[in-house]
Amino acid sequence: MLSVEHISKSFFRKQALDDVSLGAEKGEIFGLLGPNGAGKTTLIRIINRIVEPDNGVVRINGAIMTRKHLEHIGYMPEERGLYKSMTVEDHAVFLGRLRGLSKQDVTAKLNYWLDKFEIGDWKKKRIEELSKGMAQKVQFICTVLHEPELLILDEPYSGFDPINTELIKNELIHMRNQGKTIVLSTHNMKSVEEICDRVALIHHSKKLLEGRVADIQEERKEGLYAIRFRGNMIAFANALWSGFEVVDTENPSDNLFIVRVKMRGENTFDDLLKVLIGQVKIEAAWEVLPTMQDIFISIVQPKLTEAL
Amino acid sequence: MRNSWIIALREVKERIGSRSYVLFAIFGPLIILGLVYLLFVFGGNEAEKWNILVTDKAGILDNKLMPHPDPNVTYSFANDYIEHTDFANGKRYQQYDAMVEINEKVLSNKLSYVFYRTKPSFNLQAKVQYQVERRLEEVMIQRFTDLSVQTFREIKQPIKFSFRNVYDPYDQTSDVRTWVGFFFGMVILAFIALFGMTILRSVTSEKSNRIVEVLLASVRPQQLLFGKLTGVGISAFIQFFIWIIFIGLGLYLMREWMFPSIYDASSMNMAELTDNGRILSVQEKLYAGKEFNTIVDLVYERVNFGVMLTFFVLFFIGGYLFYGSFFAAIGSTAGTENDGQQFILPVLLILALSAYAGYYTVANPESELTGWLHYIPFTSPVVVMVKLTYGYAAGEAYQIWLSLIVLLLSAFFCLSVASRLYKNGVLQFGHRLKLQHLFKWLRK
Repeated sequence: MLSVEHISKSFFRKQALDDVSLGAEKGEIFGLLGPNGAGKTTLIRIINRIVEPDNGVVRINGAIMTRKHLEHIGYMPEERGLYKSMTVEDHAVFLGRLRGLSKQDVTAKLNYWLDKFEIGDWKKKRIEELSKGMAQKVQFICTVLHEPELLILDEPYSGFDPINTELIKNELIHMRNQGKTIVLSTHNMKSVEEICDRVALIHHSKKLLEGRVADIQEERKEGLYAIRFRGNMIAFANALWSGFEVVDTENPSDNLFIVRVKMRGENTFDDLLKVLIGQVKIEAAWEVLPTMQDIFISIVQPKLTEAL
Repeated sequence: MRNSWIIALREVKERIGSRSYVLFAIFGPLIILGLVYLLFVFGGNEAEKWNILVTDKAGILDNKLMPHPDPNVTYSFANDYIEHTDFANGKRYQQYDAMVEINEKVLSNKLSYVFYRTKPSFNLQAKVQYQVERRLEEVMIQRFTDLSVQTFREIKQPIKFSFRNVYDPYDQTSDVRTWVGFFFGMVILAFIALFGMTILRSVTSEKSNRIVEVLLASVRPQQLLFGKLTGVGISAFIQFFIWIIFIGLGLYLMREWMFPSIYDASSMNMAELTDNGRILSVQEKLYAGKEFNTIVDLVYERVNFGVMLTFFVLFFIGGYLFYGSFFAAIGSTAGTENDGQQFILPVLLILALSAYAGYYTVANPESELTGWLHYIPFTSPVVVMVKLTYGYAAGEAYQIWLSLIVLLLSAFFCLSVASRLYKNGVLQFGHRLKLQHLFKWLRK
């Protein structure tokens, strides 16, 4: 669907993007990750043709992107604004018409979304009468009003309370299921794990990582397993002997423990369970995969240290 | 083009819906009409009516001044000497606005005092002096010569040097009319300044609330700039048309209801005109037409509103686009709204200089500098308006079109520079604008 090929961009002496290539498939949610100043927003602006790249091309469905493609893209920037003196309806009509819709189409689609979000009575309200979260909802509606094939969202959850975050998240999943492509730039790693199919990490203007979330986690796992049990910690430790290494321990209640264990030698998860059964009462056991937060920090932190 | 139009319509809707726009549309014409009313009332000499007591103890004037009464000045005579303090405070004198003191030796010392309660206009002062002088002249002619009054006045007539423009020998384009051109030019500048600031505010607020990034994902920066300038320009035009309708209607109503006698022949002092007509100069004839008002004549008769409004519209468009591009460029490149207002000061200064250029043209219509100012796009909108009232000689009409072409070409050049700055500057936030930024963004 979206293919970014060898994009470079510099602003005078500062290199914002250096030979970045990545792609998002149809019907997937693609996470664009990176610390502040990494070049994510510049890349998003290039995809939206707000900024021209120095080198490289953007393709949509294999064809070099033109302004015509913008009608099929929905873009919600991080620093998003609305005209305060306009009503919700006028705003939607204005932005919808800029995206190629007729006034009648906009009105019909706006009614659909307002009903869906149960905010029909906001229609005639002026933007300045809305709270920040309400305005963010209106902004989201304006972004998806023209039913774009490609949706680009920069920090879509900022300003939303947990309930509305969930609402937007479910909506994005629904759109993905309808075959829409969603590019999501966010610092919210939990949401990346929850809804992103694939991610790319940009740091210091270069792409450092790209792939499926599950694959990336799998590649970076450290052979850690977690056991939640009831019983005696000494009995647990004695059972392990030297074949396993306790990495850390949590003690949420009196005789409840969660212990993370690393295998030594040729030992496997099965071996771990075998030595523990009968010694403690195991409630749950699972393989510990690195979180996207851990992966993000592990990649970015050394680089930051180098930079310092 | 479609997107620019959508943006323009939004601008128009927002401007027209704003309270300041509505107030300006209502009070702007009202203020102008109020000023015109004041000029009508006080600009002519028919406005003040004076009741004058002439103290003539020696009976020199023989209790008469003019063969026919003046509609604005009534003279009463007292063949006694009245102290000015008595006149000031005496109950019986309160009905008089002024006292003219004719002393016994007035024919030799040629001195007369006029004590007034409130200072009269220059016109009225001149009129009273004129009427008393003429009566004293008659008395002197009778006492000291054997000539008839008519013969004396013929002899006394000085040679009048009437300075006439060889290209306008009948003085069809008087100095007074050039002020109308100046007024039109000032209206252009005022609208440019006012709506230029609107452009600046509109651009900076779109930057500060960040909607500009959403818009740029749908339209080109040039389209956005063009749409904005068009929208604000249309609002300015609507405002202007409201002014034209209100002022036009107001002037019509004033003529029909408030000043119905303006051109009524019966209100002229025809007797005065005919009695002395043969020996009066043109100016004296006009002066004798008591109801004549130069401002009224100017507004209703001497200004060719068709030509003035046509060129007003053309030069307004050119001037608006020219100056508007500066306002837009500054708005888009400024980091903050305050920052933009600092950079706008030089542009406002140029607008003020342009106003002075218009004034300079009124005073020096034929100077070499005026010739240059006529083509310089910063000053041409106002200078051309003034020059228009002087008129262009046959064969020189190309000058006005040439000036318009220079203005429009300059406007398009400035717009292209502004759109480059707009494109590069509009997504830069929070910085402090420096000249080097502008040069950098121009090169990009």
